Amino acid sequence: MLDTTQTLLTERTMSKDIKISAKGVDVFYGDTHAIKNVDLEIENKAVTAFIGPSGCGKSTFLRCINRMNDTIDICRVTGDILLEGQDIYAKSVDPVQLRARVGMVFQKPNPFPKSIYDNVAYGPTIHGLAKNKAELDEIVEQSLRRAAIWDEVKDRLHQPGTGLSGGQQQRLCIGRAIATAPEVLLMDEPCSALDPIATAQVEELIDDLRQNYTVVIVTHSMQQAARVSQKTAFFHLGNVVEYGDTNKIFTNPEDSRTESYITGRIG
Amino acid sequence: MMDQEHIASAFDRDLEGVQALIMQMGGLVETAISDAARALEMRDTELAEQVRRNDKLIDALEEQVASEVARVIAVRAPTAGDLRTVLSVLKISGNLERMGDYAKNLGKRTSVLSEMPAITGTGGALRRMTQLVNVMLKDALDAYIQRDVELAEDVRQRDSEVDQMYNALFREFLTHMMEDPRNITACMHLHFIAKNVERMGDHVTSICEQVVYLVTGDMPDEGREKQDRTSTDSALGKV
Repeated sequence: MLDTTQTLLTERTMSKDIKISAKGVDVFYGDTHAIKNVDLEIENKAVTAFIGPSGCGKSTFLRCINRMNDTIDICRVTGDILLEGQDIYAKSVDPVQLRARVGMVFQKPNPFPKSIYDNVAYGPTIHGLAKNKAELDEIVEQSLRRAAIWDEVKDRLHQPGTGLSGGQQQRLCIGRAIATAPEVLLMDEPCSALDPIATAQVEELIDDLRQNYTVVIVTHSMQQAARVSQKTAFFHLGNVVEYGDTNKIFTNPEDSRTESYITGRIG
Repeated sequence: MMDQEHIASAFDRDLEGVQALIMQMGGLVETAISDAARALEMRDTELAEQVRRNDKLIDALEEQVASEVARVIAVRAPTAGDLRTVLSVLKISGNLERMGDYAKNLGKRTSVLSEMPAITGTGGALRRMTQLVNVMLKDALDAYIQRDVELAEDVRQRDSEVDQMYNALFREFLTHMMEDPRNITACMHLHFIAKNVERMGDHVTSICEQVVYLVTGDMPDEGREKQDRTSTDSALGKV
């Protein structure tokens, strides 16, 4: 009994570890001030949802976490984003290495025009994660298993990834993202192009993934945020208006703007 | 609470609709309580019978609230204040339905009591107690509609007066029964009536707790002293 209690307490303490810490982050697209002085601490091995109306800055902020905004010339990021205490915008940080640690899944499933196997093997290969073919096979199988799609594709690994259904393609993309053994998974509206069954499968997967990864998900579906996340941040006009436990945000939010948004009173 | 309207105006209509049903139920229960009390005092079996018949309307409304709330939850997936609104509506309709049942029970016992000799001196106390509960109910429903936590707290505190009145009646009925065993049957009925009215007060208290939850998101602290001591204090039985 004592051991169980101790384990529970330890787990609870550990889940409060901060994986990503943003301090005073501002993002500009040219003259547009898209993110305004955002402070946010994202818990390790938990699912954090970003919600807010279109154009509120939630996807912009998500893309800062693995420096996807670097590819946009007019985009300027100031402030600090720390991954386990390390500034990800430091000169010494290689964005490609960073993106291996912080994987991303996009709104529309975007498998490479290659076989299912190659889609998953690509990342580990370029990052040199496998010493030989047997190891690579193992990584591919484990990644597809974790993405809850192995049983559906194990007999057609060498057929094109683009031949799968939308929901399967998205799970393949999640498998591809976790093949480089990332610590964080960023998901930008991962279910918006999926039917309800595929959505339920991806949500089930997200719930499994949080045992091993820190997941940050942007979603327009309030119910999805409520279902899959433990923490929720509400973005509005570039600010984080409210950030806290998902249960609290959806039953009794502190800020009237949060309440207006989640109850469908402001768009 | 939100004064702002929903983008989907049908959602506003849904929430207004279920709350209107609660108000309708509340009105019927207030009438049932005052009619039942009057029937008891005047030995009006016709009115008592009417209270019993009208309870069916209250029951039907409770069912309507339950099915409407189920539909709103399924279709609108309410959150935050909207969620608390539908949850409180469901709970309050249950409280009102029970209060209606107690009023109906008053009606039934009135029909029996009217065939027995009257017990002198208890009618006034029962009337005052019932009136007090009815005013509490009216104020609780006002507090609900106005989202007035202060009024809800005030009504909650008033329940101890009802409890004290019940304690006093309990002793009084015991005295009557000991004085003359022929009073026992009538006094037992009157005691059940007093107990039912005391329970109505508890349901009003529960409605007030829902008002606090609806507005603040938290249930009120149990900072209210229970005054019905008849089940714990043996001294109350000594006359």
